[in-house]
Order: sequence, then structure tokens, then C-alpha cells
Amino acid sequence: MKQFTIEIAKSDINATFKEPNDDMDGPVKPRRTLPSKSPSVPNLSQVFRATGPSNNLFKLKGQNLSQGHEQSGQNGLGLSYSSTNLSLIELYNDENGEEEGNESLSASLPEEVGINAKDVVPQQEVIPRQDAGLDDLSHYDRYGFKKQSNYINENEYDGWWKDYSQYCIRRKRKWQSLLEKSGFPMTTEAPDRFPPKSEKLKRYVRKGIPAEWRGNAWWHFARGQEKLNKNKGVYDKLLASLETKEYERRENSRDSDIIERDLNRTFPDNIHFRRRPNESAEPLMIQSLRRVLNTFSIYNPKIGYCQSLNFLAGLLLLFMDEERAFWMLVIITSRYLPGVHNVMLEGVNIDQGVLMLCIREYLPHFWHRIVNKQYSHNNQFLYKLPPLTLCTASWFMSCFVGIVPIETTLRIWDCLFYEESHVLFKISLSIMKLSEEELIHEHGPASKNMSQDDADIEVFQVIQTFPKKLLDPNSIFDRVILKRRISLNNLNQEEIDRCRKYVRAQRLKYKNYADVLGSNPKSNGERNALVELDVVNDALSSEVYGFRRSLTGLHWNNSIKEKVRQIRKK
Amino acid sequence: MGGSISKAMGKMFGYREMKILMLGLDNAGKTTILYKLKLNKIKTTAPTVGFNVETVSYRNVKFNMWDVGGQDRLRPLWRHYFPATTALIFVIDSQDTGRLNEAKEELYSIIGEKEMEEVVLLVLANKQDLKGSLTPQEISDFLQLKDHLDNQLWCVIGSNALTGQGLVEGLSWITNNTHK
Repeated sequence: MKQFTIEIAKSDINATFKEPNDDMDGPVKPRRTLPSKSPSVPNLSQVFRATGPSNNLFKLKGQNLSQGHEQSGQNGLGLSYSSTNLSLIELYNDENGEEEGNESLSASLPEEVGINAKDVVPQQEVIPRQDAGLDDLSHYDRYGFKKQSNYINENEYDGWWKDYSQYCIRRKRKWQSLLEKSGFPMTTEAPDRFPPKSEKLKRYVRKGIPAEWRGNAWWHFARGQEKLNKNKGVYDKLLASLETKEYERRENSRDSDIIERDLNRTFPDNIHFRRRPNESAEPLMIQSLRRVLNTFSIYNPKIGYCQSLNFLAGLLLLFMDEERAFWMLVIITSRYLPGVHNVMLEGVNIDQGVLMLCIREYLPHFWHRIVNKQYSHNNQFLYKLPPLTLCTASWFMSCFVGIVPIETTLRIWDCLFYEESHVLFKISLSIMKLSEEELIHEHGPASKNMSQDDADIEVFQVIQTFPKKLLDPNSIFDRVILKRRISLNNLNQEEIDRCRKYVRAQRLKYKNYADVLGSNPKSNGERNALVELDVVNDALSSEVYGFRRSLTGLHWNNSIKEKVRQIRKK
Repeated sequence: MGGSISKAMGKMFGYREMKILMLGLDNAGKTTILYKLKLNKIKTTAPTVGFNVETVSYRNVKFNMWDVGGQDRLRPLWRHYFPATTALIFVIDSQDTGRLNEAKEELYSIIGEKEMEEVVLLVLANKQDLKGSLTPQEISDFLQLKDHLDNQLWCVIGSNALTGQGLVEGLSWITNNTHK
């Protein structure tokens, strides 16, 4: 903490807050005195005051986008987010020196910023240093997560990282040359413009976006700026409204209680989110997370706060500033996962129904493990979802954050923002495909005699631990996602959208039937309900969903094409 | 066939398997309890979105423990998946007196469901190590189980997931009070 304040006193305050400015006090307030009633953080306002400078600093960070347009040039609020982001990610050791020098940083500042970039530079280092002191940072990865987990020990991590970091460096060079060839000269450390979508770019994204570009790249591919331009100033207004009396009276103050309880349980193993033992100040990340989640809950009352949003927002905050993280959260919950976090949760059920259809189509063996024979013929599994969905629902809700190790999560997110939500289905199927091998290895092929309950437990155990061991993203990307010949790679966004429509309609019809038959099937006598269910099922099962299947010949052609291409290259 | 034979054998030799559901408000300590029992390790846990399932063996009983995510709005997702539950462990944060009422309401709404008619109920008054936490007796009085549960076996045990205190006692209470 000492280091932290000294740092600010030395440079930042002098550089950027030279003249106390009335304009600046306005927006600061809501962030400083966010209402909070949680007993777990008793003296919140004091805590905020105690960290005054740091709070300002952070405000500066969040500020630059919303206010930058009006104020840029006056007091240096237009600090580039891209350079701020850098501070959070420790680069690969060997490239550090040449790539992260001050010059490249100053070059990354937008043109309209009227401040000497050099003054800003020390600020880049503030956040990592804040935590650097007492801890041995060698236990943490480049995002501040603890390397060790219940399923991976530090040696395993280090062994893998030795190779993977080299892979990352190679990929970054490829990206750099791609950008240069496409007419985007590498003048900045973290570019914010990327070439138009193409098969090549997609392949690059699938092989991983360089970590320190991710914030910008995600923002770009998810068309975040478009969203922000349509909603200029909205985030600041929301922040201000957190302070009003109406807010306190609103029902969603309940949301803010739940948010408060989840804040300190979000990434407790990450140095940026964790409160240090001897420190009273709340980590800046937690403060940001609180603001993003609270503003989101009033921005979208249909969702409010739903557990798992904390993970989405938390991960976004490691890569971009607060306002961008907020809008990305809006985009994820509306474009990629429509209805999934809604209070009604119908979106979750629809997506799980879609996933079940996909499993039946692409992983028939696995399908027979998870579904009773009697169910599998008709469509009943669309409304009475198999128990496995208890597990997979959370994969979607949190977009794999906390489900797979962090580098794998990030690779999934790269694809998610570039290719949209069908990626989540593909990854889920890939995980099942790979874990099926483990299932067979550990438990033998599915046994006919086993009760569904026992089979479920077996599948659960594997399906819940297997992803946690996927330390190496390439073990899933190289083996499944990047392979053309694997049939599940026929799955595309169009298919998923069609599938979602179908499942939604089927579930609605089922509900209507049930209503018409005058029964919540449970309440009637059980036998009666069964008969009715059969009628309904028969009716609904007649509408079968058909996947588009590509001709096998097409694969063959593709591979010939590929070979010819390679021969020509040579 | 094979399955039923091994089950029958299990019965003869006193080997049993039971399904246990662990519920409670968010942040009560359910996941910590589960992993203390399973791995004898303290995991820094994040909110459980979804659930964790682990099998824990104690004496000759295999417990299939289902630790279900905390936030109440997510509950409809999993609620109807739990018929055939032998026992319900309801975990309470004994220090969070501000939410005791909420916990009580939650407990009664769960125990009132049809599927839960026959389960035995174990209430773990967790976080006993924390200052100002209520004793198991106080929790028990507050919940008024004596007045409301006529046909159900229930028990309140104080626990501390960090040390493991009370957890094995809880499991053995369940074992001794269920027959199958």
C-alpha cells in the first residue's frame, strides 16, 4: 500500500490533477459513496475515503471514455485505455524489455490527448505494484490468478507455461505481421483496429489473441464502440443514480445486498481481487466490480443481479476499463446469451435444450449415457431436461469462467466475441467428447444394467472435474475445434439460432398443452399425468428438428484443397 | 441385473448408498463443507453457480452429496431434480444473524415440498468459530423445528467447516437415523 500512495503522490496527482477542477468532483462522488448496507463491509464510506487518491486514480481510468470526448486535452482525462490495460497483464518475460518500453506506451495514447504521455507512464505500474510487495508473485500467473488449483499444481503449471508462453510469443509475431500486411502498422503496443473478418482472421483468433491485445480485440469484435456511441454518458448517469434516494428505496437494493456478498468471493485467488491480510483498503478491482454490477442491475431490471455475472464482469475488468466492461456485460447478456440471466431463466433452459439436441446429433454414445432410453426417442428431454444440464447450465451462465483454467477460458472468449454464441456449444460438445474418453477409461463403456442414477453420478463426476484440468487450451482447440473433419464443427451460428427458435417454440407449446389439459402434471394423479404427458409428447415429437448435415464429400474436397494449397506454397 | 445384485449384496453386508442434498442461503459455507469432507482441504470458494456433486465414504456408507448453488433465483433450475433424497443438510451461517429469518423461511419452503416429506433433516449451524455466532441451541430455538416438524427426524449440530468440527458427527447422525 505504501508504494502505491507514494507512486501517486509523486507523479499522477501532480500530472493529472494539477488543478482541482469542479467538473471532476461531480462524477467522483457516486463512485465514492456508493450506497452499501452489507454488514460484511462495515465502514465502506470510510474505506473509500481512506483510499481517496487511489479512488481518484481509478476514476480517472473509468472516466476517460465517458468524459474523454468533452474533456480531452484539458486535464488529461483521455488516457488511453489500451495502455491502462497493459498494467494488469504481465507480459511474457522475454519480450518485456523491448516491447513494453515507455516509448511504445506513449505511442499508444490517442492523438487528442493533450498531456505529456511520459507523466502518465508511472501510473501504468501502479496496479501490479500495489500487490507486488509481500507476496511471492511467482505463485501467480500473468493475470494475477494463483497458478495452483485443486486440480493442477504449480509444477504442472510451470512446465506447461514454459511451452505455452513460447506458443504465445510465436502467435503474437504472426498477429503483428498479419496486421502490418493488412495495412494496420504496429505503432502501438495494443492495436485497436483489426482487419475485416475473414477465414484467416478467424483462424488467428481461434489460435489465440495476444493477451495484452485482448481488451481491445474483444471490444472491437463484439462491436462495443457501436454500442457505447449509441449510449454516450449512460454509464455515468447510472453511476450517479446509484446515489439517489430512489435507488435505495427500489426493490433491487436486494440485488445490491447479494452483489455485496459475492464481491469478495469473486476470484478470491486473484491478487487484484483479494484483500490483503493487513490491509483495510478494499482492492480497486472490487470497487469497480461493485459499480459495474450495481449499475447493470438498474440498467437491466429484467436481469438485475444473477450469480455468474460477477465472474463475467470480473474477467472483463482485468482486460478493460469499467465503462467498457459494463457495455460488454450488456452485450454478452443480450446478444450472446439472450434470456440466460433473466429472472425467469428461460434462456438457460432453451440453451440447455439446444445443447441436448446437439449431443444427440453429434455425440450419440455420450447421449445414451445421460438419457434414459425411454426419453431419447421423443422430445421430452426438451422440457424435462436431463440432470446433466444441472452441470452444463453453469458453463453457459458464466461463459466457462471458473469452469476451465484461465488461459483456456480466454481462448474461448476470443472465439466467443469473434464467432458468437455457437462457440459455447461447440466447446461444450468438445469437452464432452474429450471427457467421454476419460469416462470409458475410468468406468468402462456405458453399462446397460446400471441405473440412471448411478450413471448420472459417474458422468457428473467426470464432467465436473475434467474441464478443470484443461490447463492447455490447445488440448481442446487442436484436438477438436481446429479439426475440420470432426462433425461437430459443422455447427455454426445459423444452426444454433434456428435450434434456439425451435426449442423455444417446443417448450412454449408444451407449456400451452399442459395448461390446456388443465394440469400442472404434478398435481393430478400421477397416472393421469403420465397419460397426458404421452399425448403431449406424441404431438410434440412429431415436429422433429433436423440438423443440416454437410456431405462427407465436402470434407474430402476441403482436405484436397488444403493439400494443393500447401504444395503450391512449397 | 448386475446392479441389483450388488445392491442386494451391499444390503447384506450393511453397505449403503444415500443421496444427500445440501442446501442453504448463499455464502453459508456449503461448498467449503463439501470439500472439507471430500478432500480434507479448505478451498477458497467462489459462489457456486450450478452445483457440485461428490461422493464421500464414511464407515460403510457412500454418500452422494449434492451441493447446490446459493442464490435463490437460480433454484428453479435444480429444484425438481431431487426426488429420492435420503437426507437434507441445511447449512446456516450462525454469525449472519441478519439473515436468520431469511434462512428460516427458505428452510420451511424446502421442507414443505412434497419430495422432502420423508427426508431426515440435519441443520448445520456453521461458522461456529466466528465471533458472535449463535450456538446450535440458539439456532434450534430460532428455527422452532420442535413446534413445526412432527413427522420428521431432525437435528441441529454446530459446525466449523474450516476445522471439520461437527461434520463427521453430522454424517454419523444421518447414518444412524436412516434405514433402508
